[in-house]
Order: sequence, then C-alpha cells, then structure tokens
Amino acid sequence: MSDDDEWLERIRSGATDDFAEIVRRHQSRVFAILHRYERDAHRVEDLAQETFLKAWRALAQFDGRAPFEHWISRIAVRTALDHLRKEKRRQNEVALPELGEDALDWLRSGEEKSELDSRSTAEILELAMRELSPADRVVITMQELEGCSVKEIAAATGASGIAVRVRAMRAREKLKRALEKLAKK
Amino acid sequence: MNENKLKQLFESARMETAPAPPPEFAADVLRAVHREPPTKLNGRFSIFDQLNLLFPRIALAAAAVVILCVTADFGLTAAGVPDLGDGMLQISAQWLLTPNGF
Repeated sequence: MSDDDEWLERIRSGATDDFAEIVRRHQSRVFAILHRYERDAHRVEDLAQETFLKAWRALAQFDGRAPFEHWISRIAVRTALDHLRKEKRRQNEVALPELGEDALDWLRSGEEKSELDSRSTAEILELAMRELSPADRVVITMQELEGCSVKEIAAATGASGIAVRVRAMRAREKLKRALEKLAKK
Repeated sequence: MNENKLKQLFESARMETAPAPPPEFAADVLRAVHREPPTKLNGRFSIFDQLNLLFPRIALAAAAVVILCVTADFGLTAAGVPDLGDGMLQISAQWLLTPNGF
C-alpha cells in the first residue's frame, strides 16, 4: 500500500481535510502539466483547482490499481483538453499576439544551432500550436514535451494506440507547416 | 522548417519550468471542496445507489417500451389482425364455455 493510498483511505473514512495533503503532494505535477497548455499563471491555477475538484468528485471511482499520480495526471490532461476546446472557439474573436524579434530571427535563420531563449520558445510554440486542433495539441505536447509513451497518451486521452500514432505524425507535420507560415509572415 | 530545428524547439520548451503553486493553493482547494455537495467517497454503492444512478436511463427505456407496445397494438388493431384477447375469447367460446365443454 503506497503512502497516497493511506491518505486516501483516511479521506474515505471521513477525514475530508486530509485531501489538502493529497493536493500538496500532487500540485506541482498538475501545475506542470497544465502550464504546457496555458501560459497565464492565474488561469493555470484555476485549471489546477478544477482538476482537483474533479478528482474529489470522482474519488469513489479511483480503485487504486494504478498510482494516484497517473490518475490525477489523466484528469489534468482532460481538463486541459476541455480548456483548449473552449479557447479554440474564442480564438477567432481575439487578435493574435505578435512574435518578438528574437523569435522571428530564429525562425528565419537557416542554422540549427542559433540561440533560442525560453521566451522566444514560448512565443513561437504558442502561435504555432494554435494551428492545431486541441486533440492534436495534447498528443504532440505529451509526446514531445513531456516525453510520454504512446500507451500513456492513449490512456490519458481515451484513444487507441494506433490513433495516437497517426495523430502524432499528422500533428507534427501540421506544426512544421505552421512554423513555416510564421517564418514567412 | 527542418527536423533538427523542430527538435531544438521542443528541447528548449522541455527545459521551461512551470510556475510554482501558491502557498495557499491546497487550502483554497479544500475550501472549494467544502462548498461541494456531499460526495460518496468510499466507492461502496448499494443497489439503490446504483438504481438511482441508472434511473433516467431505466425510465427512458421503460417509456420507450410502453410507447412501442401501444403503437403496435393500435397498428395491429387497425390492420384487422386479431389480438391476443380475441384469441383467448375464441378459445374459451369454442372449448371451455360451450355445451361441448366440461
């Protein structure tokens, strides 16, 4: 029995306040996942709270066969996916942010080794990812930025392994085209 | 955009650090949890809990069966097909309640 299981057992026996300990243990992981899909720190916090509330409501369904961390990570990914879908609908009404000089220089330069700072990375990825569907974005983020396996992505998104592989390949191509488009602007 | 540049972009993004959760985050979540309606936490559902969860589906399925039966009855009656009641009447008239019967 893991440490998490002991805390969860106590919560199930009525010690509701012990849920705060579960939140403290997993909040960094949840914030890290959500930050991949949302840059605004306040929104990340709101989404993280939503993730833990969903976990609370579904606590009876957690059977302990997989570690709690995997379960809460899946809920975080699905919360992010819902958020991206809402954002996608809103995107057409909002003006696109401009790319900074450094980001544009990097995109237009032919060399691979030219410097790329974290701010430019964030700007470029944010704009390019907007060209992808929410589901494509989740797959490419999990695979390339979080280093998740196809099996893990399939478990988190509810898709089959083959569907994940195909989606990842197509998303990668779409992302390349989006980056080329950005460089030409 | 070549493959190596894309890899460089991903690599740079991987190194980014996420914002740290604020110190009161767990307490905020707990406050939100306390505002939630009571939740069943122990995962042991009685038969009534399960029926309760399934109620809308069961009610819809039952309504669909009733509508189907009533429609079929009207349809068959209109088509002049004898229904089960007619069949029973015929049997009782022929075999049970006639002088030839018991």
